[in-house]
This record gives sequence, structure tokens and C-alpha cells, in this order.
Amino acid sequence: MARPEPVGQFEQLVLTAILTLYDEAYGVTIHSRVQELSQPKTVSLGAVYVTLDRLEDKGLVSSWLTEPTGERGGRAKRCYRLEALGERALEESAATAKRVWDSIVQVWGKEWAKRWGKGAKAWG
Amino acid sequence: MSGERRNAPPRFLEAIVEFLTPPVCREVVLGDLYERYRSPLRYISDAWYAIPCVVYSRIRRTADPGVLLMDAMLLYASFIGAAWQLDRDLLYQHSGLLRLAIPVAATLIALMLGDAYARDVERSGKRSPVRPLVQAILGVGFACFAQAAFVAAGFAFALPWWIMVLGGGFGVIAVSLVGMVFPPDDQRPRGAG
Repeated sequence: MARPEPVGQFEQLVLTAILTLYDEAYGVTIHSRVQELSQPKTVSLGAVYVTLDRLEDKGLVSSWLTEPTGERGGRAKRCYRLEALGERALEESAATAKRVWDSIVQVWGKEWAKRWGKGAKAWG
Repeated sequence: MSGERRNAPPRFLEAIVEFLTPPVCREVVLGDLYERYRSPLRYISDAWYAIPCVVYSRIRRTADPGVLLMDAMLLYASFIGAAWQLDRDLLYQHSGLLRLAIPVAATLIALMLGDAYARDVERSGKRSPVRPLVQAILGVGFACFAQAAFVAAGFAFALPWWIMVLGGGFGVIAVSLVGMVFPPDDQRPRGAG
């Protein structure tokens, strides 16, 4: 399989959101999930749109239009799914993040990691 | 997202958002904003941040840098040629070349927006053979309108109308020929934004 292009941090958040939403990954839900993942930063819907288009152009995700629904005023939604290349890009990102984390813990120690974990839960 | 009933956004607000959103992504964007609706203020805020991003994304997908560069060079050559014919002194003025570049920039902006706001050819099923000509006319027309606004405002960099007419005329021919020889790439995927 071709090697995916490197993905930025925001792209990683969007890919993760699509992965965790399964068949319900569309603009509104992806934005909500990205907002949860990027706390305490706020994220605009427009930024999610731009990133979804970029990911689709890179071949990391694909999309399809659903039937119109009443909760959307009789309009269709565009759902997204991860492609194989997108899954691989996310795996590589996770592996890089793990290496970064392990390197930091090696220097700052496990006590720091525990304190950091408690602080991260406070943000959540 | 949940099944609970919500108020709908005001129709006039939806109409404004519908007008501003490129047709290809209109249904999806309007649907998302409808689903997120809680109050008119929040709807306006959502649309305020979403629409420019959607337009930017469409421009990124539809603009062809090579074609735009050709358009820019041919347009600039048209206006320089018109100035050479009608008012050679303009070319030797301190800001002459800059003044000739302004309608070129305005035309390019109009062409990019025109492509971004074009309807989906796959859905309509056909591409009009005169579309490049119409787009070129609209693009140069926008540049002429901008120049007229500059003249009305007393802007020092406005070009004489005779140069606009001759340069714009040759520019329309050149840009429409480029558009016919290098049509837009319709195979690019269309997304929500």
C-alpha cells in the first residue's frame, strides 16, 4: 500500500473523530467530537469542513450523501469513513505520539506522568 | 443529532446563507447549520465562521494554478498592449504597471469565485461550450465595475476607460480561449465543505 502523507495535529483529531463515530461521522458530529478531543481549545465548523476536504483529497477518507432527514430541514448529510490509507496515517500518528510520550516520561519521570494524567482528567 | 424537536432557523437567514454558500456544498452546509440551530445569534455565528472556510475550500479544489498563471499573463499582456496603443505615457509613469495589474487581479478573483460557485457538472449532466466565454466576460466585467468604483471614489490608480475597454476586450478573448483549451478538472471529489 502507498505510504500516506504526514498528517497535522488537527487532521489527526478529525481522523480520530471519524474513527470513533463509525457510521454517524458527518459535519455536526465530527465537529462535536473534535471539540471534545481538543479541549480546552474551541474549534469552528468551518475548520472541520476545510480539513475534511483536504483529507478526502489526500485519499485518507471518503464520503457519501445520505437520504434527507427531518432534523436537518429535509436536507441530506455527507457522511465520512476512513480509507485504508487514513487508518494507516492514524496508526503512524499514534505510534509517533507514543514515542514522544515515552521520551518525555524517560526524562521527566513517571511521577510527572501521573501528575500530568490527573491534570488532563481535570480538563476533561 | 437527538430526536428532540427544535425550532427552525428564520427563513430569511437561511436564504442569506443559501445565497452565500457555493451550490455544490449548499445542501450539506445548510443541513448542518439547521441541525446545530439554537438561536439566531448562534446560527449567524456558525455561518460567519463556516461560509468563508467553505468558499476557501472550494477555491482550493477548483482553482488551477497553471491556468490562473496563464490567465494572469495574458490579461496583463492585453492591458499593457492596450496602454501601448492608446496611452504610451502610462507605461512610463511611476505606478503605471501597478495600475495595469489591478484589473488583472480583480479579474482573477472573479474567475476563482466563479469556479468556486459553479454548479456541479456531474449533477447537471452537461458542460456548456460557451461557459468559458461567459466566465471571461463576467470576470472582466467585474474588473470594469471595480474600476468604475475607483473612478467614483477618486482613486488615483484608476485606469482610463479606453484602456479598460480595449484591454478588457482582448482579455476576454484570451481568457475564454484558455478556458476552452484547459477546462476545469471535474474529477476532483466534492466534500461537505
